[in-house]
Amino acid sequence: MMTASILQDIWVAVAMGVIGAVVFAAIGLVSGTDETTTIAPLTLLVALLGVPPAGVFMFFMAGAISKHMTHAIPTALLGIPGDTMAVPLMDETVALRNLGVPHIALRKMVSGAIIAAFVAVPLAVAFAWLLAPYGSKITPYVPWLFLAAALLIAYLSAGRWAAVAALVPFVLIIVGLQAVTARYHVTLGVSYFLGIAVGPLVADLFSLLSPRGRQAMLRDEPRTFSLAPDVKGWGGYFPNPLKVLDRRQTNLTIGTAAISSATFFFSPVAMTVVLGEAVAARVHNAYHRLTTVIAARNGVTEATYIAEALIPLIAFGLPLSPVAAGPAAPLFNAPPRFTVHGADGQIHNLHTLMTPGAFLIYGLLAVVLAALIAYPLSMNYAHRAASFVARRLSHEAIIATFVGLVIVIGFWEGGVAGLLVVTTVGLVGGLMYRAFGLNTGVQFMGFYTAVLSVPALIKLFM
Amino acid sequence: MQTVKDRGPGAAAGASPRYAEVWGDTVDTAHLGWSVLIGAVVSFGAFELALRILQPLVAQAAMGRAYAMLVGLAGCLAAGAICARLFKPKRIVVEQEASDEGVRAELIARLVAEAGPLGSVQALPGYVVAEMKEVGLYDLFADAQARHAADGIALEHASSGGVA
Repeated sequence: MMTASILQDIWVAVAMGVIGAVVFAAIGLVSGTDETTTIAPLTLLVALLGVPPAGVFMFFMAGAISKHMTHAIPTALLGIPGDTMAVPLMDETVALRNLGVPHIALRKMVSGAIIAAFVAVPLAVAFAWLLAPYGSKITPYVPWLFLAAALLIAYLSAGRWAAVAALVPFVLIIVGLQAVTARYHVTLGVSYFLGIAVGPLVADLFSLLSPRGRQAMLRDEPRTFSLAPDVKGWGGYFPNPLKVLDRRQTNLTIGTAAISSATFFFSPVAMTVVLGEAVAARVHNAYHRLTTVIAARNGVTEATYIAEALIPLIAFGLPLSPVAAGPAAPLFNAPPRFTVHGADGQIHNLHTLMTPGAFLIYGLLAVVLAALIAYPLSMNYAHRAASFVARRLSHEAIIATFVGLVIVIGFWEGGVAGLLVVTTVGLVGGLMYRAFGLNTGVQFMGFYTAVLSVPALIKLFM
Repeated sequence: MQTVKDRGPGAAAGASPRYAEVWGDTVDTAHLGWSVLIGAVVSFGAFELALRILQPLVAQAAMGRAYAMLVGLAGCLAAGAICARLFKPKRIVVEQEASDEGVRAELIARLVAEAGPLGSVQALPGYVVAEMKEVGLYDLFADAQARHAADGIALEHASSGGVA
């Protein structure tokens, strides 16, 4: 029966969405877990295990949205950014904490995020649908598009021209590693992604081994975290986000989320800063400005993130944005299952396996799941969760898990060669990030440049 | 991201423990060494063992490897759990009783000065006033505003131009 198989697909997709929401709601509580390092490898795993396309998509979407909600907990209650996207919100969270209302900061952030997510999914799908007719026309130019995108994203990163220049040696290293492994008939993809994602950790571990590098890392005492007091200011289990935000805040959140849903090229952090300033200029009272800006900014990071994943995926099937090249990369490229063979125009990934309508429905379903799982968790159990993670989960345990991840994925993909590539790319990428601000998004584009643009360049000049 | 200041190499030279900031948080270097070892051995062991057992049983080699990877990832989590048991976090967690009144008063005075006359609490719509009263901030802001107005017009001009 046709309908039975469709129903089965939906059940699998929902089940994967629930798993993604639960897993990443938990990961979000651990501050500093970068979205790329956690979402990319687990989504990759789900893709490689043969989960149906809608299930892979739901796992990613529900996971990313849930993590975005729960990472507001360490941001608001511990005063440390939950991940890189929370950095632009630190001024407001610290001010609200000092005013004695950290719970207000958390509630406004999470409510802004959920409203923005409901706005961003349909708008991003609509925008992608408008762009889609141009998708086939750009195929011959894909190698050059990736080259241009890599240069632009590098320039927009913290490293500016240094990041643009550092791309050249970084791309060469990848080309060289590929040539070496090819001699032993090993083709690697995932190992490069994982190496880039865990680069900062690899670089830190190497530095700690060196007597010279260690000096700068030693500390006299553990870090101090001051946990904000637990204040529950509402009844019931599921506070209505539209009541947590006032009318003005809701409108400004929807407005900025709509604007950021149409932009898929800029870094979420940059969009957040710019639109946050625009909101701040419109609200004059200091308290109201803090609470409005924090809601709008967290909404913008959510909406930009969703748009940057969805628009390139639905319109082109090519990872042409920082998010698409980073945490969402396995939706585009998970060899051997999903591939982007830009040079010969053969794309085989979620872009070809799902329709825009399916993206819309499953995308909204993912937002609903995140709203049901991560939203009440952040609203009701924030204090207990933050306290548990800070007191019970040691950083050593987190590092042990990631070291294990590197070894398993490296060996799984290419045996010893895989492990060596993860380590090499991680060390070089991590050091380049630290020294020149060549962030992971730029490095992912560097990988695509090595695979897609370099052959075209060689053809042109040789 | 490194918020904790390094107070020089000499200070940490004592016997044990040796704290270091790695990947954004503090660890004990000896514990970290053991954690890396445990993470590597447990996860690799789980992967390799699963591969040897599954490879003859599963028809497609690629699927066998994918399942072995899943077992390996379970090994990663197990390694994390073992290390969480063995090594306690190196964090000082201070439970804030309430916010520091002095810091709060200073912050409110600064915020009121920065916002200028446009940001006065009288200009706010009713729902914002209600929220501020609910969290107990309305009177503090109103008082700071009155004090600020009394402080003189020249001062207000100097500070409101900057940030608002």
